Amino acid sequence: MSALNRSNWEIFKNGIFGENTIFRMAISLCPSIAVTGSLRDGTLMGVAVVFVQVMVNVTISLIRNFIHPKIRIPIFMLIIAGYVSIIDMAMAAFFRDTYKIIGLYIQLIVAFASIFARAEVFASKNKLTPSFIDGLGMGTGFLLAMIIISFFRELLGRGSLWGFPIVDGKPLLLMILPAGGFFAVGLLMAFFNWIDMKYFGGKGASGV
Amino acid sequence: MVKITVNLAVIYIIGGLILAYVYSKASPIIFQKAKEEKEAALKTMMPEADFIEKAGDWEPHHKHAEYFIAKKCLEEKTVTRKDDQTGEISEVTVCIKDEGIGYVVEGFGKGYSSYINLYVSVDNNFMVKKVNILSHKETPGLGDEILKDSFLSQFAGKHVDNLVVIKGETEDKIEAITGATISSRAVAEDGTREGVKMLIEKLSGEAEK
Repeated sequence: MSALNRSNWEIFKNGIFGENTIFRMAISLCPSIAVTGSLRDGTLMGVAVVFVQVMVNVTISLIRNFIHPKIRIPIFMLIIAGYVSIIDMAMAAFFRDTYKIIGLYIQLIVAFASIFARAEVFASKNKLTPSFIDGLGMGTGFLLAMIIISFFRELLGRGSLWGFPIVDGKPLLLMILPAGGFFAVGLLMAFFNWIDMKYFGGKGASGV
Repeated sequence: MVKITVNLAVIYIIGGLILAYVYSKASPIIFQKAKEEKEAALKTMMPEADFIEKAGDWEPHHKHAEYFIAKKCLEEKTVTRKDDQTGEISEVTVCIKDEGIGYVVEGFGKGYSSYINLYVSVDNNFMVKKVNILSHKETPGLGDEILKDSFLSQFAGKHVDNLVVIKGETEDKIEAITGATISSRAVAEDGTREGVKMLIEKLSGEAEK
């Protein structure tokens, strides 16, 4: 399990393929359904998560030796909520135009299982550089999953991409409703498991 | 045991201090910018008005809100004015006769996850002209569709009795956003309709006197 014998590239890749937050670990499914109705929403949410994930991993890795193991959970909560609040306030003050677009997503990150999980599983046990790479990989994996899900949902549900109309005709409304989100995530998860089993000999998300 | 307590306390105090510092720096700027944006938004509510004056306060959902009267200048007059301090004489254009062309009211609607703050402008007959959302924290992707023109343009020319949300297609009422009925209701019924109703109660009473 130690990160010592794993290269940085392997750690990074692990976040995208091996332990992809949504398709393999099946955590943080709430945003993958709530905020993937359009490609823009999904992508911006993903970008916000990459940022917070990296910052939280780095901070926890830096202070890991000062945290008593018995009280690590409340301290992780403080760091995550603290970062989210600081980013939220700083953006509202200095980047108002951007804040109007992604301000709504920032506050959702407080309750993210994936960020918490990486703090517990990885950053609290590893040095600065691997923790940074892990945060970057996990965040990117989440971002890619959000892009894929929202790409299909917006294309099928609205007939547009990033707000621009692509297909004429009546779209499949179900896809942008929450129920459609479950279908999209489920089908894509099955697809990724199928690829994994067929080409990489893996056991799929349920077999981990 | 003591060690754990101290450890937790120290980290939380540090975290609290950092947050307090950021808040003390950021909150005056946020407040100032929000105020400026509100003033700019007020002007766009009635582009044809020459000036918009505050007419009174009211309290939707126990929050402080204001309403305004929009006026158009009918007759202008150029007068010479002497500055008391510098003694300079300058020519200023003042409005000597104006006419009220409508009202703007600030409203709050209780949405799915937040209070939706909005401006509504009406003409002298209290027909809605425009609705503008100032701030909200509704669900991204569903509730935030209330910002779209396709939803807000429905409000133009509506009578207060027609500010009712209908699920599905409608000719004279407001059509709900799919998957965001609560947010749609908050804007149309709780925010806009209550605001216009308040204006009618307060202002048509005054006119009769």
